[in-house]
Amino acid sequence: MELNANAFGRSARKALLDKTLQEALGRTTGRFLDHRDAAVAAFPEFEATRERASRIKRDVLDHLDTYLARFVEEAEKRGTIVHVARDAAQAREIAARIARDEGVALAVKSKSMASEEISFNEALQEAGVTVVESDLGEFIIQLAGEAPSHIIAPAVHKTREQISRLFERHLGEPRTDNIPELVGMARRHLRAKFLSAGMGVSGGNFLVADTGSVVLVTNEGNGRMGAVLPRVHLAVVGIEKVIPRMADLATFLRLLPRSASGQTISSYVSIVTGTRRAGDPEGPERMHILLLDCGRSAILEGKYREILKCVRCAACLNVCPVYQSVGGHAYGWVYSGPIGAVLTPLLVGLPEAVALPDASTLCGACADVCPVKIPLPDFLLELRSDAREQGLKTPGEIAAMKGYAGVMKRAGLLEAIERIAGVLGQFFTKGKGIGGLPYPFSGWTERRDFPAPASLPFRKHWKIKRGPRG
Amino acid sequence: MVNERESLFRRLSAACGDHGTAAEEPLPGGPSAAPEGDRVARFAEMFTAAGGFLLRGPVETALSDLGEMLRAEGVTALFFPEDDAAAREIAEALVPFGPFLLTTGAEVRGESAAVTAGFRAAEAAIAETGTIVETSAGGKSLLPGLIADVHVSIVPAASVVDRMEEALAVFTADPPRNISFLSGPSKTADIEQTLTVGAHGPKKAIALLLPT
Repeated sequence: MELNANAFGRSARKALLDKTLQEALGRTTGRFLDHRDAAVAAFPEFEATRERASRIKRDVLDHLDTYLARFVEEAEKRGTIVHVARDAAQAREIAARIARDEGVALAVKSKSMASEEISFNEALQEAGVTVVESDLGEFIIQLAGEAPSHIIAPAVHKTREQISRLFERHLGEPRTDNIPELVGMARRHLRAKFLSAGMGVSGGNFLVADTGSVVLVTNEGNGRMGAVLPRVHLAVVGIEKVIPRMADLATFLRLLPRSASGQTISSYVSIVTGTRRAGDPEGPERMHILLLDCGRSAILEGKYREILKCVRCAACLNVCPVYQSVGGHAYGWVYSGPIGAVLTPLLVGLPEAVALPDASTLCGACADVCPVKIPLPDFLLELRSDAREQGLKTPGEIAAMKGYAGVMKRAGLLEAIERIAGVLGQFFTKGKGIGGLPYPFSGWTERRDFPAPASLPFRKHWKIKRGPRG
Repeated sequence: MVNERESLFRRLSAACGDHGTAAEEPLPGGPSAAPEGDRVARFAEMFTAAGGFLLRGPVETALSDLGEMLRAEGVTALFFPEDDAAAREIAEALVPFGPFLLTTGAEVRGESAAVTAGFRAAEAAIAETGTIVETSAGGKSLLPGLIADVHVSIVPAASVVDRMEEALAVFTADPPRNISFLSGPSKTADIEQTLTVGAHGPKKAIALLLPT
């Protein structure tokens, strides 16, 4: 996928002015959050399960070489062909070669963020293979020629009218504003693809080391269709998705659907292992797994290792005030929300995505909901400080932050400034915030409003409430 | 040419550093003991919560309810794998409630105008999540739960387990190619967050719970 992360400011402004998107975002994130909260409240073991999952993932990352080797060995034992790609270019090459060698003309794909990282569809299309997205949301945005805007609800920014127009133009279907009818049209169209495709392509939510299995979690059932019906199955998966054993899978299955959509479990969990066995009536004759490094081993080596615990539930997106306001496209790459703000700079290089760690209020809500306890706010701060060390911050920003720190450490100075700001602030105040400040403060107010100073500063308020000391 | 796999494992070993050996045993802190009470009733409750329809009680009543339900869904063909005796028995017993065409499946795979109900004997059911487990172990077909419009799972009450771990443990040593956890119908909320059934798989998931 094309990288555009440093345009965050511009893209965010555009998103904030998009009325349809704003309505969709409010509806989606609010709903996911309500369902998640209810599911967590109804599951008293959530905290204990979360702790266990976090520890399992840490053990995996501390011994990823061991667990991944075990996974590869077990997968190969059961007939799976395992490929390894160092970077996106290599992954594209391998994927195209697999499709060519298998004689595939049509591939059906279920949702995979990892495949977006390597621009999988383009790679196959260049090799003359048609790739059809089979997740309904992905199918819609593929028809629209757009990129997904939410990990688990990629088409949240589309209305039924827009979707019906797409189906009319691309599938020759009559116009309707009836959602079940629209779903039925996609079902019929995609069913024919599933039955004629030479290859099913999927991601993988988990790789089970002790059995060499790939685990697919879906609600629509498209993942398992692609994994079972076509004669070839290719799973494109990041190396960090390994879990030690089948017995650990239950722990993660208790967390992922609850965190993602508030479901106790998703409609379908498919555990696929190797190729079809002798006597099996269906299942692929050939099974390929393409393991992606694409920057992961470098992350593993450094201080951000724990970001690789992520299970891609998107709970941190839904709870993030910045994501809620600007949606996924503003983040300019595959991953959005807090996970995107940390993972994107780590995968593509900080200079290419230095705007993203700033796209956060550091409110900490993401860390509260993360089912594998990734310290996202700590990482966001750490990346900001890396950016400064690497000379990626402007002198104005550095001077402003130094000045801020200097003032906050001196109560008398703060009080004086508060008094002056109270008077001056009224000239720049619009609504609840201050915008359009002169240089050097314009560096801040160009992209955000500064809260208007209260007429009575908090510290004075506190003194009055509390009364004289002693 | 560099061997990419070796090179990856070299990078990983260097990156992992020295953290002792990997955990030999599953980490402690697994699920606490199963809750008190009837596990079959819990399965029924959770399966229904997942959007499934559960039929239980005397087999004659359940069959007549099922026949009515299939007719209401506009089902015209009942489809079961050739070698699934339990599925065949139930499908055949439903013929009087029809008109239903019986089929063993080959033609269902193509694009047929028939509205199908696919029958299969489930291997297990999980009370914790309201899940039905169907696998390809022993050459069994997954098509009834995969491509039919309505899926009917035949679940012996004795096959209900409490937790996911118990269902998974059976397959750890030698997993079949496909293990499917089915919890309710195929769902999507991709259009305007509106929950709609039948995105790809069955629009209706029915479990016929047989007394042991």
